[in-house]
Amino acid sequence: MLKVCLCAAVLCFAAVIAMASEPGRRVVIYDGVATEVTAPADAASDLWVTMADLKRATRFEVKPQGVCRDTLCFPLPKSRKAEFVAKKGAATWFNLSAFARLINQPAARDERHAVWYFGPRSEEAASRLSSLEAPDFTLPDLGGKPHSLADFRGKKVLLLTWASW
Amino acid sequence: MKGKNFEIVSVAQDTGGAKDAGPWITREKLDYTVLIDDQHVVTQLYGMVNVPTAVWINEQGRIVRPGEVAYVDDRYKAFHHVEAAPYLDAIRDWAENGDRSRYAPGEAELKERLKPQGPERGMADAEFALAEYLHKKGFNGDAIAHFKEAQRLAPDNWNYKRQAWALGDAERDYGTGFMNEVKKLNGKPYYEPRRLPEATPKKN
Repeated sequence: MLKVCLCAAVLCFAAVIAMASEPGRRVVIYDGVATEVTAPADAASDLWVTMADLKRATRFEVKPQGVCRDTLCFPLPKSRKAEFVAKKGAATWFNLSAFARLINQPAARDERHAVWYFGPRSEEAASRLSSLEAPDFTLPDLGGKPHSLADFRGKKVLLLTWASW
Repeated sequence: MKGKNFEIVSVAQDTGGAKDAGPWITREKLDYTVLIDDQHVVTQLYGMVNVPTAVWINEQGRIVRPGEVAYVDDRYKAFHHVEAAPYLDAIRDWAENGDRSRYAPGEAELKERLKPQGPERGMADAEFALAEYLHKKGFNGDAIAHFKEAQRLAPDNWNYKRQAWALGDAERDYGTGFMNEVKKLNGKPYYEPRRLPEATPKKN
């Protein structure tokens, strides 16, 4: 155990030197996928991203009817549009953290490493279990082969979690 | 229970992934599906609070028994005092009778037990996921604040405590540990209690 801790500490130290976060860059984790995005020059407490980065990191796009992805659209409140969309220099920026608040999406942020994590919207999380449909997932076995819960449709499944800890 | 159209899908909730869970899988020579969940996806999707937890899912992919503590042997019984046998009996009954099993609660009870958790749990999940990301990037020290925030937001989630404690030195980083925290509960459960219906007398 001590050996493991020491190794981890050494790794951590090396990583800090190698990966000190660059100014002007942010990492956005959306739907579990991490994407590096450009940050505006001014240090805002909110997360502003360019329209191109918005699409790249979240697949959402700002359209006349709202902020949309596939068939899902969230209209922006007309009187508060400036909170969400702003021209700064040559680019148009979108306030992704304000949008998360608008749609009740939990967000967590690490200032030092400039990482933002966005989880599923509360409504999405709430409807997941109340429908009684077992939420699907895909995970690897020890050999790395992916398995989905849906692969077992037609059988009774005892879904059992455990851990090494 | 082969031939009863019954499968076990066992999922390791381990931030360390195959490195941590692998030796257990190899040692136990398990003959069912064992998956590795290094982002605690199943814990989050099903609102679980500890391991071992099991959910029963029927042939149509519907939940027929929600998450609850699922000891399948008496290895640690002296510690948690939950006997495995009644649960194993319940599983066998379900494997045999499916949705008609007396251990499959009705829809009203299911909905009650699966009621949505508050927004704090969503925030806790986000903090935990951010902590895991930082940990995997090698920023173990910086992950601790987010693990702690996840624990503060979801104090009943033992998964988020035990995983974080196991990733470093619990006493040094969190000022506590599993045994210590369980003691503080004074016998209250640190898992989702099992709610099996009363046993019926065995037929002779």
